[in-house]
Amino acid sequence: MTTVLAYLDPGSGSMILQIIAGGLAAVAVTAKLYWNRLLRFLRIKKDDPQTEAASKPDQA
Amino acid sequence: MGGARSLIGRAPHHRFRARAAAFSCAMSTPESQTSPPAGIDSGSFRDPESRVFFAGDDVYRALSADGLGDFRALEETGLLGDGRIVRSELVDGVPGAEGVLPTETAGVLKHELIPFISYPYEWTFSMLKDAALLQLDLLLAALEKDMVLKDSTPYNVQFKGGRAVFIDIGAFERLREGEPWVGYRQFCMLYLYPLLLQSVKDVPYHPWLRGSIDGVKPAEMRGLMSFRDRFRRGMTTNVFLHARLEQRYADKPRETKQEVKRAGMGKQLIVANVRKMRKLVSRLDWDPPEGVWVAYGERNTYTDEDAWRKDDFVREVATSRGWNLVWDIGCNNGRYSRIAAEGARHVVAVDADQGPVELLYRELRDSGDETILPLTMNLADPSPGLGWRGVERKALPDRGKPDLVLALALVHHIAIGGNVPVAEVVDWLAGLGGALVVEFPTRDDPMVQKLLAPKREGLHPDYELEFFERCLGAAFEVKRSERLESGTRVLYFAIPKRA
Repeated sequence: MTTVLAYLDPGSGSMILQIIAGGLAAVAVTAKLYWNRLLRFLRIKKDDPQTEAASKPDQA
Repeated sequence: MGGARSLIGRAPHHRFRARAAAFSCAMSTPESQTSPPAGIDSGSFRDPESRVFFAGDDVYRALSADGLGDFRALEETGLLGDGRIVRSELVDGVPGAEGVLPTETAGVLKHELIPFISYPYEWTFSMLKDAALLQLDLLLAALEKDMVLKDSTPYNVQFKGGRAVFIDIGAFERLREGEPWVGYRQFCMLYLYPLLLQSVKDVPYHPWLRGSIDGVKPAEMRGLMSFRDRFRRGMTTNVFLHARLEQRYADKPRETKQEVKRAGMGKQLIVANVRKMRKLVSRLDWDPPEGVWVAYGERNTYTDEDAWRKDDFVREVATSRGWNLVWDIGCNNGRYSRIAAEGARHVVAVDADQGPVELLYRELRDSGDETILPLTMNLADPSPGLGWRGVERKALPDRGKPDLVLALALVHHIAIGGNVPVAEVVDWLAGLGGALVVEFPTRDDPMVQKLLAPKREGLHPDYELEFFERCLGAAFEVKRSERLESGTRVLYFAIPKRA
């Protein structure tokens, strides 16, 4: 998966909102979003360091 | 389409390619402190993949390698043949194409000319709504072909008369897996919130858009809403929840991007959100007050002698030669714009009152008119240059000089209503550079009396027929004048002396 490289800042809250507000199409994605959060909260899953590094160029 | 496609070989698909190669040093010359180098459009710099520039009388767009790749992908979708998108073709050997972008120019598009550039803070409600729907429809059409619009700004839409045209070819790009609808926030700030302000609150959005080139922020919009508004369609999500989430995630841009990516943002989700937005926008409505409808309905039934003679006067001037661009300033319901259009290629019809202009736009749109561009603007406070360096969005006179100006039933509003000295009004009209049809209502005119009524006795001593004629005669050569039947209104046709 590629990182967001748009010239326009999509806005962090705006991205989360799209996941929550997408209706039926969003159910699976929302579930995954919160499932991942739960796993991280329970320390079953950690942040992927590679993804962390790959996301840096978008700050340019 | 077609043109010279062999300009540059196949574009390498790499986002950070040779970034510094063509970065122009001309940007630092002293004369460029107030505007970009000659020939480069002052307002299309935000997207580094494409930029508009001018050569001769034509308008072009320089594309980066990625931009060219996106354009080729767009060509294959067949969307370009759609009349809703500005006609564009790849061309070769255009002077001035290098140094326009931060990267090398890999391709150049030639665009169809838009007769007169206008901005959302000059559009009526239905114009902004139609531009929003055009934006969303093109986004949905692009998504079907695995493409997307990278932004959602109304500055990417222009009007040819009553027809909205999407002008930013560079906004189409290939969809990247896992991306959200990048332009959603911008759509809210520049389209949805302004439309909601007008539709729900009956607050004109024009000063808000003119005051901020990026539009209204979610938190600002929330601050303008009442408790009751929380329960209106689309408000909870797009205003209240949006503002709350923006606040909550403001300090975590990187973490949020990762989280969104891991959750697997897919095309179907973008489509679902865009469709919901389309439904919301299409249900928004605003109508001018009832009095405006009544007056508009009567526009073609004027029976008094004054109206007929005024029609004839304007028609004789308008059809006396082939005018290219006519400005009808203070156009009201567009009666004289339509007469001017009998002899002009393009007419820009402007009035401070949004109501009649809104009704005029609806008629022009429904009849497919591409000659008359209706705009709303207070002429005592016309659109200035805005944005970066004050030239990103141009001031009204910098967008094309009129060769004929109609100023009917206007002077008294600016001079008395706006407290502008008569000599300055005439000087401004002369500065526009075109021939002039102007109407001067004398102090005995009922409308002038009404404007003077709330003012202190003795104000506006310069508002006198003789003084106006002296000012007019100094700047213009008066070709013809006629006092209308009622005796309180005088019409003039004048040519600027400097011309």
